[in-house]
Amino acid sequence: MIALEQPRKERVLIDESVAEIYRELRADANSQPEQSPFATNKDIFMMAACLGYRSGRKQVLPSGKKLDIRESVFLESDLAILKAIAIADTGDVAVLSHPSEILRIAEEYAHAGIYDIRSYLLDEVGRPLWNLVQLISLR
Amino acid sequence: MRLEQIAIENFRQYHGRQRVKFARDTQRNVTVIHGINGAGKTSFFLALNWCLYGKSVDDIKVIDNVGELMSKEAVKQAQPNEEVRTVVDVAFSHNGGRYSVRRELRGVKQVDGTVRLTGPDTFEMMLTHSDGRAKPVSNPIGTMNAILAANAREYFLFDGEKIDTFAKPESASQVKQAVYSVLKIERLERAQRHLDGLASDYRKQLKQISGGELRNLVERQEAAQKARESAEKRKSEKAQEIESANRKIDEIEERLRSSQNARSLQQRRDELQRDLEQRRQDLEDLVNRVATLASTAHSLFAKPAIDRALEVLDEKRKRGEIPSGIREQFVKDLLEQMTCICGRPVTDGSPEHSRLLSLLQTRLAGSTEDDILNTNALLRTFTFSSADRTQEIEAALRRRASLIDAIKEVDAALDDVGRQLKDSPLEEISKLEQKREEYQEDINDAMMDIGGLSNQIEERTRELRQLEKDIAHANKELNQQRLLATKAELAQRAADAIADMRSIYADNMRQQLEMKTREIFKQLIWKGSHFQDVQLSPEFHLEVIDRYGLSAKPELSAGERQVLSLSFIAAMSEISKGDRTAENDDEMPLVIDTPFGRLSSHHRNAITTHLPDLADQLVLFVTDEELREDAYENLKPRIGAEYRLEFERLTSCTIIQEV
Repeated sequence: MIALEQPRKERVLIDESVAEIYRELRADANSQPEQSPFATNKDIFMMAACLGYRSGRKQVLPSGKKLDIRESVFLESDLAILKAIAIADTGDVAVLSHPSEILRIAEEYAHAGIYDIRSYLLDEVGRPLWNLVQLISLR
Repeated sequence: MRLEQIAIENFRQYHGRQRVKFARDTQRNVTVIHGINGAGKTSFFLALNWCLYGKSVDDIKVIDNVGELMSKEAVKQAQPNEEVRTVVDVAFSHNGGRYSVRRELRGVKQVDGTVRLTGPDTFEMMLTHSDGRAKPVSNPIGTMNAILAANAREYFLFDGEKIDTFAKPESASQVKQAVYSVLKIERLERAQRHLDGLASDYRKQLKQISGGELRNLVERQEAAQKARESAEKRKSEKAQEIESANRKIDEIEERLRSSQNARSLQQRRDELQRDLEQRRQDLEDLVNRVATLASTAHSLFAKPAIDRALEVLDEKRKRGEIPSGIREQFVKDLLEQMTCICGRPVTDGSPEHSRLLSLLQTRLAGSTEDDILNTNALLRTFTFSSADRTQEIEAALRRRASLIDAIKEVDAALDDVGRQLKDSPLEEISKLEQKREEYQEDINDAMMDIGGLSNQIEERTRELRQLEKDIAHANKELNQQRLLATKAELAQRAADAIADMRSIYADNMRQQLEMKTREIFKQLIWKGSHFQDVQLSPEFHLEVIDRYGLSAKPELSAGERQVLSLSFIAAMSEISKGDRTAENDDEMPLVIDTPFGRLSSHHRNAITTHLPDLADQLVLFVTDEELREDAYENLKPRIGAEYRLEFERLTSCTIIQEV
């Protein structure tokens, strides 16, 4: 696993204003995978960050209440993608020496990308899982 | 407050620094300052007022024309650009302390002969403590105002020719104001106003807090709890219904299985049901698999970011900024051994040696370098894995479609079995199958109900969670409300109590004042027999009642009005002695400019006889005409200091000479 250097920012932040989207898409004991296909907030965050970068939009998080995801739940491959986003965003590998900057950039893309997820998965006719599958096949 | 001395420097016609010591002896408590008209009595009087209060205090005007305060002679004698200053120092004792106050105005003489002031006047106060040390007082204006309030000042330092105010018919408001300011009733009024305002503020805030919401919220909470409980109960009832219907179906199927005529169809159904269950399980597993694949497929959307990042990394590598795979330690090892990887020795200063050195210099920090290399390697693997994942999802989708078709077929086959059993010519079998179908419908209905009830339970749970938050918030507001209501009530009660005290106190003071004014007026007025009484009405009308029991005020002469006013002032001075507080000692001077100007000799004699006893300290600015013969003789045993103001025509300046 690629370890991020110290000083380490140990949590990834999600603004309270979009928390409801996360809640709707994340599976729990009572939900069905077709309605709430994601197993973790981390997976939703990763998807949102990638979609945000893909559509070229990022958004600074407003001040106020936040949800957070512990950095330790991110896989090595997840962190590699977040690093790729940070390198692509800054055009410089130097960003790799600043772990908290990598996470901040990812948070901003995710905060824009989560609205893409909402419009593709929740606002369309059909159940979110199949909308997601369609999104993947049409990409 | 007892005046000790005054020093006047370059104030109007007083050029240079001149000093007057006031009489302070209890027996000889009168200071007389003589001067003909125009000699400078009024300027002297003004100097005292200006020193203590400046040109105005709290919008109360003390003097006009500040610009003309500076001695013209001093300005004339100054050189251009030389500083000119006007200073008045007053020393007085109060409450056992000795105070010196100084007011100073500075200016610079201009080439054209005028003076440009360098700023507003300054005011300083020093307090000499009992141990003889003098210390500056940090809030001189406030302290001065506490010793003798600016608005009460005019009742102790006044122009004798203008003090008939109190005796004029329309004077009630001035009388009231005088009583209130001298006897400090104002303070109670201010306290009352302040508390009234406070109470009204609290009431306003109270209105802004929404009231009565808590009960409504608690009622809703109870209702939601009941609704959830009832839905849970119904849900468990429905579950029991399903269980019991399933048992019935099992029994029926068992009977069909044991019936010779139905056995094969039931066995077929058993098979189909097992098949259906298996396929449904497969479909569920498949959906879960698709969900896992799709929900973690973000790397498929990461292609633009990965491609761009790899471009950046490649550029770096091309520019030699990332040594592709060459580790810092490896280069260091080569340098230490001075041997190339091919085994040839490396010599100091050779091209190989400098290349190795430059690799070390351009390296990135060790760990970042590792990170870049690892990230680079990891990112390059994504292209392959994303193709795999897409294929896997597509395969799963195809399998899903075929599973759904298969389920449909099995469903149709089951339907067929059911129909065959129902159509059986044997009534028993047909009835059993009909029953089975009814139970199955009951189960379907109950399942639907359970779905709806589960939704209701979930909704109520959400509602309850929100209500819990709202109730906590409302509880907090309720506490605030209670606190505000208590504060409002307390402030209002305090205001009301002060208002009551004030009115009792003011009326008490008024009655004392009435008595004292009456007593003094009778001493001073020669027509004692004509005037029967002096009254101060609750509305603060100061009235003189004549022998017919009627108000004599409209007919009072100017001199009589002055005597009445003087009686009132002296009475206030007396009464205020009784009002001893920490800030208020037992004495106040009376400083009167032109006290006897309008008075007939009778009044003058009466006043000069009695006034020294009525005031603790008396300072009189008089003309020779005012104070002669009997009047002067009356006063003489009480005079402790006497000065004459000499106006010099040549310099237009006044010299103060002790008599």
